[in-house]
This record gives sequence, structure tokens and C-alpha cells, in this order.
Amino acid sequence: QRFRFCGDLDCPDWVLAEISVLARISSVKLKLICAQVLRELLGEAIDYEKILKLTLDAKLESGDVKATIAVLDFILSNAAKHNVDGESLSSELQQLGLPKEHATGLCRSYEEKQSSLQDSLRACSLRLSSLDSVSWRVDYTLSSSELQEVGEPLVHLLLHVRRQDHGSTEPVPMAVSADKFRVLLAELKQAQALMKTLL
Amino acid sequence: KLNTGVDTVQHGVEGLMYLLTESSNLMISETDFQDSIRVLGFSDELNKLLLQLYLDNRKEIRSILSELAPKLPSYHSLEWRLDVQLASRSLRQQIKPAVTLKLHLNHNEDLTAQVLQTDPSTLLHLIQQLEQALGEMKTSHCRRIARNMK
Repeated sequence: QRFRFCGDLDCPDWVLAEISVLARISSVKLKLICAQVLRELLGEAIDYEKILKLTLDAKLESGDVKATIAVLDFILSNAAKHNVDGESLSSELQQLGLPKEHATGLCRSYEEKQSSLQDSLRACSLRLSSLDSVSWRVDYTLSSSELQEVGEPLVHLLLHVRRQDHGSTEPVPMAVSADKFRVLLAELKQAQALMKTLL
Repeated sequence: KLNTGVDTVQHGVEGLMYLLTESSNLMISETDFQDSIRVLGFSDELNKLLLQLYLDNRKEIRSILSELAPKLPSYHSLEWRLDVQLASRSLRQQIKPAVTLKLHLNHNEDLTAQVLQTDPSTLLHLIQQLEQALGEMKTSHCRRIARNMK
């Protein structure tokens, strides 16, 4: 059977097995654990102690607690990845054996955070480099060793490029003559107009 | 404690190491091992001890030795993105899809990444080739070899 939250593929065996473990936790506590997992997916720190306390009643072993976090991570991030709405997710999880209350609670937490999750996933999508900032300066060349009276403006550009793997910015300096700079600006404005038509 | 010089003890340890690693390496039988160490002229009791030491530890020694073999970079993960080029400086009104891949490799705990780019038809060809390679495992030729290895 195909599931949307698994990308229209079969549900992995381990997920199926862990869903039955989820059923052993009360639906109220499951919703709170969900909230913690969502915090971690959104880049905040996870409170492992809190989750351990919430799972005490269900008498889970330490391996099971980690598996619970892993399966919730899988369900929530994959549902966001494939843009599954809360109701479809709830019905698919119930098909896999999660009791109705658990599924409803889980999906309610998911729906609240769905767009933030998707924004965060969009931000960490593959990207090779990005422009951090641009600094510029306009000079006026008076004279040079080649020609006594030059009298021309010169633009100095410093592009700060951030490489995704390093996280630090790399400065890319260049000097552009007035004519070349006018052409560059015109072309960039055309590109910007094209981008605006897509937004 | 052994009442001998440091050098003697060191040589003794090195000798034992060599004896055990070479024997485990070649997976020699009990009789071959016994014949080999008989030449050294030790007491029977010592020979029996050495044989027991060899038999008890050879499996573990072999698993450690297998990890010392040189390894190629192995697959760690793959990131991808699908883009469509709509216009460039030279040509507007384009539709040019491209897939960018970042292949993360693991070479002896060293993580490296290779960035590749391809168009959809090459990607389909790549997928076809990889599926063919997987399919090879199911041919009778491969199955026969796999059966004989067990």
C-alpha cells in the first residue's frame, strides 16, 4: 500500500513497528513529545529529560525512547516534505494502526507547525553558495603611468560570498569601469524584472 | 617481575604477535600450527598453551586484520535539487531543467563532497544503468558465484 507521507511509497518496516510502540504512550503525552520533536526539527534544542519523564508511564526502555523520537522525526519531516495536510496524515497513520486520539493529537501539533517546518526545510535545501553582502566605492582616476590625464571614474565592488560547506564568507573584489558598470547594472535590472514576474 | 631485560620481553611480545597474526592470516590448521612450533623446541605444555591461544583468538584477530585493508571512499548521503533555467543574459524564454547533486562520501572518517550537475535525460540514463547493475545480482551467473562463496 502506498502512503503520501512516505512519498507515495510503501511505509518502511521500522516505522510500522514503532507506530505500535507509540500507541503505548497516552495521547496527551504523545502530543507533548511531538511538540519537543517539532522544536528540534525547527532548530531549537531538544529536552531529552522531559521526553524521558513523559515516557515513564509507558515503561519504555531507553532504546524505545530513542526509536519514538526517530519515528516522530520521520513522520513529521516527511509529511512536511511531501506537503501532506493534517487530515490526510491522520487517516494514513490510523491505517497504519495508530489509535484515533493519538493520530488526531499528533496531526494537530503538525498542522500548527507545518508552514514553519516547510520554511526550515526550504532553508536547508541544497545550495552551493549565497551572496552575503556587497560593498562598493567610486573612485576617480586622475593620472597614471601610461597617460598623464586620465580623468575617469572607477567602481570598486566587494562581493561577500558565503560557501555552504564552510559557513565563512569569501571576499570577491573587482574593479569595474563606468561603461562596463552601466551594462552590468542594466543586465541585472532585466534579471530582477524577470524574477519579479515569477514571484 | 619476569627477571629479564626490557629488550627480551619486547622481542618476546613481538614474536608472539607475529606468530599469532601470521597463523590467523593464513588460517592454518591445528596440526600445521603444532608442527610449526615444534621446531622451536619448547616444552609440550607450552606448545599446548600456544595452540589454545591461537585457536581461542584467531577469529577476533582475523576480524581486526580485515579492517586494516585499504578502503575506497564509501557512500554517505546524497543531496539534490531540481532547477529550471528560465532565462540567461544571452537568451530569454528558455525552459531548461537541471538536477544538481551533492554526493557526500566517507573515506576513513574523512567526509568529502562532490558537486555534480546533470540534465533529466542523463539522469534517467544514470538510473537505468544503476538498475541494470542491481539486476546483475539476480542473474544465474552471479547467483552461482554467491552460492559457492557461502
